[in-house]
Amino acid sequence: MRKIALNGILISLALVLSYLESLFPTSLIIPIPGIKLGLANIATMFALFYLGFVSALTVSVLRCVLGALLFGGFSSMLFSLAGAFLALVVMQALKYGYDRQFSILGISIGGAAAHNTGQILMASLMMRNTAIFAYLPVLLLAGIVMGFITAVVAQNVFYLVDKTHVVKHLG
Amino acid sequence: MRLKPKPGDFFIVLFIAAAAVIMMISMRQADTGEKTALIIHDGVVVKKIRLDTLDHTEIHEYSGEYPGVIEAENGRIRFREAECPDQVCVRTGWISKNGQIAVCLPEGILIKITGVDSAEDDTDILLY
Repeated sequence: MRKIALNGILISLALVLSYLESLFPTSLIIPIPGIKLGLANIATMFALFYLGFVSALTVSVLRCVLGALLFGGFSSMLFSLAGAFLALVVMQALKYGYDRQFSILGISIGGAAAHNTGQILMASLMMRNTAIFAYLPVLLLAGIVMGFITAVVAQNVFYLVDKTHVVKHLG
Repeated sequence: MRLKPKPGDFFIVLFIAAAAVIMMISMRQADTGEKTALIIHDGVVVKKIRLDTLDHTEIHEYSGEYPGVIEAENGRIRFREAECPDQVCVRTGWISKNGQIAVCLPEGILIKITGVDSAEDDTDILLY
């Protein structure tokens, strides 16, 4: 029961974060489709670390679907689903080395790069042309910066959650 | 509170940065003097414009869910206006170098500048 409630809270949190970052006009500064801060990944990472892979998958899929219904369209849902899914797979893989080879920093940055790659793959499928890959290097480099910012925020959230024992590890 | 980076984190950053740089280098096209813009709509080359020898302003209007206007003049091309919601294509502005692209994702249309005058110029990217 607690896990279901937490999942719901995380999905709404991810939606709010998606909306908040849409107010931060990243694509005004760098006019590339799909460039964004990726703050919603904090909620996904929280689910991944505290509740496990299935919860994280639920959070990111529902976030994409509901986000598309609320602010985007069908095509934007496909981009974010492709990105979110690939990001989750990579983060889950990196999580096996958590605390030994990788910290939250590497997991977040790896996830950001995977997210961008997934988006570009989906975009090239939809446009039926590979020219869009010209954007990938810039998106990857931006992903390093965005993934770093997300990691700093997530690290602080995790620290506070652990210190106050609000949520015990349920995964 | 503070971040505690592990050695693997640096490896990840290095790997991504290296991949980005390798892609940039492999996709870079030499400036051969010849400059052709391809307008690709839903995966089909609908128009080819020689930009280096263009002596007038050429307008290409396209229709679809989000119609718009592409404008080309000597050496450069841009989305002049579009009805798409995000306006990323218009904000990209003029593009003028070989290898550059401008994209309207909602409409599925893109402009690509290439030094090689070939409609089948589609497999110029290496996937790792």
